[in-house]
Amino acid sequence: MKLSLNINNRPGTVDVDGDMPLLWVIRDVLDLKGTKFGCGKAACGACTILVDGDAVRSCSYPAKMAEGKQITTIEGLGTSESPHPVQQAWIEEIVPQCGYCQPGFMMATAALLNKHPNPSDDDIDQNIVNVCRCGTYYRMRKAIKKAAQIQAGSTIQS
Amino acid sequence: MKKAFIIPILITFVVSVGWVNRHHSTNEPWVASTEQESQKIASTEESLIAFNTMMDVVTHQRCMNCHPSDNVPKQGLDSHAHNFGITRANAGNATNCNTCHQKENNAYSGVPGAPEWGLAPHKMRWEGLSRIEIAQSMMNRANNGNRTPDDIMHHLTEHELVLWAWEPGVDAAGNPREKPPVPKADYIAAVKKWISLGAVIPESE
Amino acid sequence: MAKVSRRKFIVRSLIGGAGVLVGATYLARNPLRRQLYDLLDDPSMLAYSGDTSQPFMWFEVTKANQVILHSPKVEMGQGTFTSMVQIACDELELDISQMQIVHATSATGNIDGLSTGGSTSVAGLWQPLRELSATLREMLKAEGAKKLSVAVDQVRASAGTIIGPMGSLSYGEVVEGVTEWEVPDAPPLKDLKDYKYIGKPVSRVDLVDKVMGTPMFGMDAQMPDMLYGSVVRPSKIGAKFKGADVSKAAGRPGVVKVVQEDDFVGVVATSMTEAENAKKAILAEWETDREWNTKDIEDMLLVGKGKAMVIQKEGDAEGELADENTSSVLRSEYKSPIGAHAQIEPNGAVAYVEADKATVMISTQVVGITRSEVAKRLGLEDAQVNIIPTYLGGGFGRRLHTPNAIQAAVLSKAVGKPVKCFFSRQEEFQNDTFRPPTHHVMKGKLDENGKIVAIEHQFSSGDVMFGSALLPPVVGTILGADGGAIRGGSFHYRNIPSFRAVSWRVQLPFSTSWWRSLGLLANTFAIESFMDELAELAGKDPIVFRLDHISDDVAGNRLKQVIKTASTKSGYQNTAVNNRAMGFACSTDAGTPCAHVAEVSLTDGTIRVHKVTCVMDPGFAVNPDQVKAQCEGSIIMGISASLFERMYVEKSELKPIIYGPYRMALMRDAPREIDVEIINGTGVPGAVGEPPLGPIAAAIANAAYRITGKRVRELPMSVV
Repeated sequence: MKLSLNINNRPGTVDVDGDMPLLWVIRDVLDLKGTKFGCGKAACGACTILVDGDAVRSCSYPAKMAEGKQITTIEGLGTSESPHPVQQAWIEEIVPQCGYCQPGFMMATAALLNKHPNPSDDDIDQNIVNVCRCGTYYRMRKAIKKAAQIQAGSTIQS
Repeated sequence: MKKAFIIPILITFVVSVGWVNRHHSTNEPWVASTEQESQKIASTEESLIAFNTMMDVVTHQRCMNCHPSDNVPKQGLDSHAHNFGITRANAGNATNCNTCHQKENNAYSGVPGAPEWGLAPHKMRWEGLSRIEIAQSMMNRANNGNRTPDDIMHHLTEHELVLWAWEPGVDAAGNPREKPPVPKADYIAAVKKWISLGAVIPESE
Repeated sequence: MAKVSRRKFIVRSLIGGAGVLVGATYLARNPLRRQLYDLLDDPSMLAYSGDTSQPFMWFEVTKANQVILHSPKVEMGQGTFTSMVQIACDELELDISQMQIVHATSATGNIDGLSTGGSTSVAGLWQPLRELSATLREMLKAEGAKKLSVAVDQVRASAGTIIGPMGSLSYGEVVEGVTEWEVPDAPPLKDLKDYKYIGKPVSRVDLVDKVMGTPMFGMDAQMPDMLYGSVVRPSKIGAKFKGADVSKAAGRPGVVKVVQEDDFVGVVATSMTEAENAKKAILAEWETDREWNTKDIEDMLLVGKGKAMVIQKEGDAEGELADENTSSVLRSEYKSPIGAHAQIEPNGAVAYVEADKATVMISTQVVGITRSEVAKRLGLEDAQVNIIPTYLGGGFGRRLHTPNAIQAAVLSKAVGKPVKCFFSRQEEFQNDTFRPPTHHVMKGKLDENGKIVAIEHQFSSGDVMFGSALLPPVVGTILGADGGAIRGGSFHYRNIPSFRAVSWRVQLPFSTSWWRSLGLLANTFAIESFMDELAELAGKDPIVFRLDHISDDVAGNRLKQVIKTASTKSGYQNTAVNNRAMGFACSTDAGTPCAHVAEVSLTDGTIRVHKVTCVMDPGFAVNPDQVKAQCEGSIIMGISASLFERMYVEKSELKPIIYGPYRMALMRDAPREIDVEIINGTGVPGAVGEPPLGPIAAAIANAAYRITGKRVRELPMSVV
């Protein structure tokens, strides 16, 4: 079926099976490879994207539901020239190791900061439930708090 | 060993008392049953059967798993705590039910879904309650979102999240999930019957 | 130290003329020449084993004055690329922004004949990479001087520029048009103190790409006109493929071809989901000879069963501990479960097989082996197969076996187009090369002063090294003991009159292999828990007790230093306060001593690790920040394995099949505080990526014991 999608503020249409997980539309049809396939079971969180600002695991989200929604992937979060506060914090804390799960974590964090601009440790524990095998959680927690600071700072400035 | 004996005896006693009381409440000798009375007995029996049919469904894991008493959603036929430590606190949070669960089942991921997927409100907690206690809570307007019996009937027989129990989809391994032990049509008929007969909650099981 | 000789550099012309490729051979030491057990203690031995007969390409200098380093090692998160860039930039006189690093493909030759693994990459490349870089720098100086028409001693190299008295040339300008090079002998290397990048916490070179989601992993690879494949994999242990009814799959939407081979069946379609859906319609037939359950595995895996090999012996521990019934002999048993790799990027590959060549893009830890296996299956020469390694979405030993490369290649050959083919997560969990379960029997005896007279560790494990692609079966026969299973199995307490370690080999009915740190985690859990048990029996402080039994040699003194530092740094206390306690453990792995103090609490039967103090001496940290990152990651992965992870066998199926039921450490389970101190004990880089996994399980168990008074002897730990 033809679907009108708005991904990273760029509208367009795709012609796919409406039940195809949005993950594969993003990765293989639109060629945005930053959103990762980890389990296909909405268990690891590597495929986390934002749907209207909320964290959604795209491997378990049929493409047809994306119509009329604002979809954001890691590519739409920020760029190396103008990183999102979460990405800036990730860089400053040197979080990634293998890096494969990291986009999903950053998207979940961006969603967290939308809801909780200054998240507590409990907020972090409750909302960041993705899986990282390299064990970067320790740096991630620091980066999440730093991202909140950066975001607060940039809000005040603007 | 003694304790084990006492319990069944007590239950038998309570059941008999309940039965006797109900018939004596009409102030008529139970042996001289009128047509009306026998109808009443018949409808009481019907109501009880309908109640039990309904409760066979309500107490099934497909329903109970999202009516927890401890704010932790449950999963599977063993009703284990939801993986990843998901709790009621996630509702309304950045990572919540809808991070993974959508309006319909997902055959690719095996993640179940239906409209308004989420935990029942804490007031509607059923986990650990008896059938009678569940029914009492369900009909209590203080607990049930101020629903009349008619509202409850519609909710129980029409709401997509409730009816999802008969279309529970496949699990992570692609195997079909177990459905409640009563066919959907029988369940709906039973709910309607039970409500139409006055939504009488048995005094004992 | 081997010098790079003149003939080891050559220059190749580059198609398109964008610069030159500078290649070199480097003397790789043959690991089989020495006692094979030395491999385990000498990281440099396993580290680099390239093909010595041909020159390899190491550096490529571009017109834009970028130097591209073609790495024989793969980057799987361990930070090797960053360390290699630091090393090369310092000797090549480059600013770090002037160097790029890429995975060498097998076509360019500079691939490692063994593997990336064993915590050895930086250690093994430390000397060769500096010598090669310094040599290239001298070549550039000589050529630059010629172009500037001055004597070579009048120029210097700085920030990618050859600077003469009257002018300067970028390296890109120096190499332009040069077809013949003067190759000097390897010049002297700089002093450690003169390095600008080496030894400094330089930020990861792959950091920004990884934060921006740039395509770089095997899963991201693609080729033009690519199709998608999916292969049916068994869910049961020992299942042998007998054939398949593919009639229902063939006509499904998007299906291009169903491919049946003798050993597997797969399908190629126009999208990943179509391939997956079509696969479900294939009815594969598997033959199994019996049913397996966890109990069967546990019954096989007991000390005393299988083949025994004494791997360490001093004095007469056997005699001293013979009478187990005397009260003076303490005996304890420990167990660890089957562990899954659970790396987040599934295994797979993109392959394109043409008439006389094949190209495979893949996350692999064994580039050379992957190439040989693909070549063999396709009936091609190794040289006809180009393996293009991608960044790995986690390695941990999982990518030392790459049948997925063969499967993708076979599918590609069948359809004549590039095919991308990946494992599903269920297939990952059921077809993993698991961390083998283990069983340990510890025995020890004290004298009247509370000193150990004799100690013994007997342990049974499924295979790690044996049966793996890295080790021919014949070597296993010669060795007798599995070099992976025995990792961490012998005692680093050598100030004891009698000690002995015995490895029992059991071949399990499913594939077991390398899992980060191999036997180290389980073996250290047993030994270091038992040391606490003995210390208690002796009425001694666990740390003092350990120090008393470490010898005064070089290795012993490094270990002691690590232990003492961890004790001071953590403020170690031997008692529980308010349901909270500290536990200590240490190990030496691949020459790197490491000590952990875990601060643990117990609530409603749940162990929580609040803080870990880690002190490690890797010899020399090329990048202290990334060494710390490896410690943090090892600690968290170790906590995960210690507290949560367990595969079980039910009706021949390995389960669970998904994250969640396969419980792993999440954000909430990670310590809020990890305090790492790195000691540069030798000035030469040693093993980093695995040693800090060793002591974590025992440190937690020892802490939990302080609170409960109950000794946990089985992983994952459950405390009721």
